[in-house]
Amino acid sequence: MEKLWDTFLLMLDGSEITLEIFFVTLILALPLGMLAALGRLSTFKLVSRLVEFYIWIMRGTPLMLQLLFVYFALPMIGIRLPDIAAALLAFTLNYAAYFAEIFRAGIQAVPKGQYEAAKTLGMSYPQTMRRIILPQVIRIVLPPVSNETINLVKDTSLVYILAMNDLLRVARTIVQREFDMTPFLFAAIFYLVMTFVLTWGFKKLEAYYGKY
Amino acid sequence: MANTNQGEVMLKMTDIHKSYDQLDVLKGIDLEVRRGEVLAIIGPSGSGKSTLLRCINKLETIDKGSIAIKDRFLVQTKDGEARYANGKEEREILASTGMVFQQFNLFPHMTVLENLLEAPMQVKGLKRSEVEPYARELLDKVGLSDRADYYPSQLSGGQQQRVAIARALCMKPDIMLFDEPTSALDPELTGEVLKTMRELAAEHMTMVVVTHEMAFAREAASHVIFMAEGNIVEQGEPEVFFAAPKEERTKAFLQNML
Repeated sequence: MEKLWDTFLLMLDGSEITLEIFFVTLILALPLGMLAALGRLSTFKLVSRLVEFYIWIMRGTPLMLQLLFVYFALPMIGIRLPDIAAALLAFTLNYAAYFAEIFRAGIQAVPKGQYEAAKTLGMSYPQTMRRIILPQVIRIVLPPVSNETINLVKDTSLVYILAMNDLLRVARTIVQREFDMTPFLFAAIFYLVMTFVLTWGFKKLEAYYGKY
Repeated sequence: MANTNQGEVMLKMTDIHKSYDQLDVLKGIDLEVRRGEVLAIIGPSGSGKSTLLRCINKLETIDKGSIAIKDRFLVQTKDGEARYANGKEEREILASTGMVFQQFNLFPHMTVLENLLEAPMQVKGLKRSEVEPYARELLDKVGLSDRADYYPSQLSGGQQQRVAIARALCMKPDIMLFDEPTSALDPELTGEVLKTMRELAAEHMTMVVVTHEMAFAREAASHVIFMAEGNIVEQGEPEVFFAAPKEERTKAFLQNML
């Protein structure tokens, strides 16, 4: 029983890294994704093309490769980041690209008439985006964003290749040392609980934004 | 126009040209609307009537010609090039126009009252307490004071369009533009919208109405323009225009509509 408790505490430690990567990535990638979406829709061809290229790279290569690149390749050209920062950089850039495409689709799903109505009422472009378009976009993008967010929970486990002691790596270490499979069970339960909480949270958000 | 000829010129469009790619949509339109007039623009689809209307508030830009609203140029042509007023002036000029769309275009995430308050508060920077009494007065006028806290999706098409009219009026425009305001409505719902528009006309609101409703054009308009293929084919006071159209094109169109 005591051994079980020790295992639990060790894994709680590991979950800290997991949670940190999850929350920081989400907090950074959402606004960055929105910026990228606006850039992608920009009438400045150069901006739009650059963002398109960025999205292509991020979606076209494995996240694992991107992690390895930031961690091992950047130091070769003199950019050396602390472990956690390297992981966060790769995660944020990757997820922002996915969010950007979700937001772009969401913005394009708002009928043109909404912009025209706002314009004929004298509203400026920033006012139109902030007050009229984005609130409608949020409602449209909530389900796909929820999907990506749940993916992120599980993708955090990829940092094990950077030798960071996240939840899954701690679990594996204990399993290998003790020949006891319960840490895997704990890990599974942890991911499931997080996913459950997120699903519940997004359901609430969808209800809130879907009230009209 | 006889009895309103004295009024101030609210809108003057001169030699309006517009083309998409190779297609000439407007081929040199001239028109003038005076204060309190109701101009009805009719014509077959593809005649350019909606495009013409949308040029008035710059939802579409013109290639050549000039548009003046209350004697201020929104756009004029110099050296063969249409030049628009700069941003600030353009906003001031366009502030005197309000528009009602075929598809209503209410903001779906806002209640009826919020739809009305949005622009006065955001654009004019007014406080809620300064706008709300007027907004409620307008809702009362269009017969929807009991729907203030509903969302647009909870209203019928006719009710939504009346809210859209109230929303445009809440910015206190001098000219109201209507782009086929009843075309998206079930026949039994057009009446309530046309009634609201008639009341507006009776209050001497200056209106430009693109419409397929011949009865409305005949009764409520002070002037009728018939367009086809980017030109004004015929125009006149409704009594004369509908009773004795001169052009073959007009006769054929009216025959089909009535």
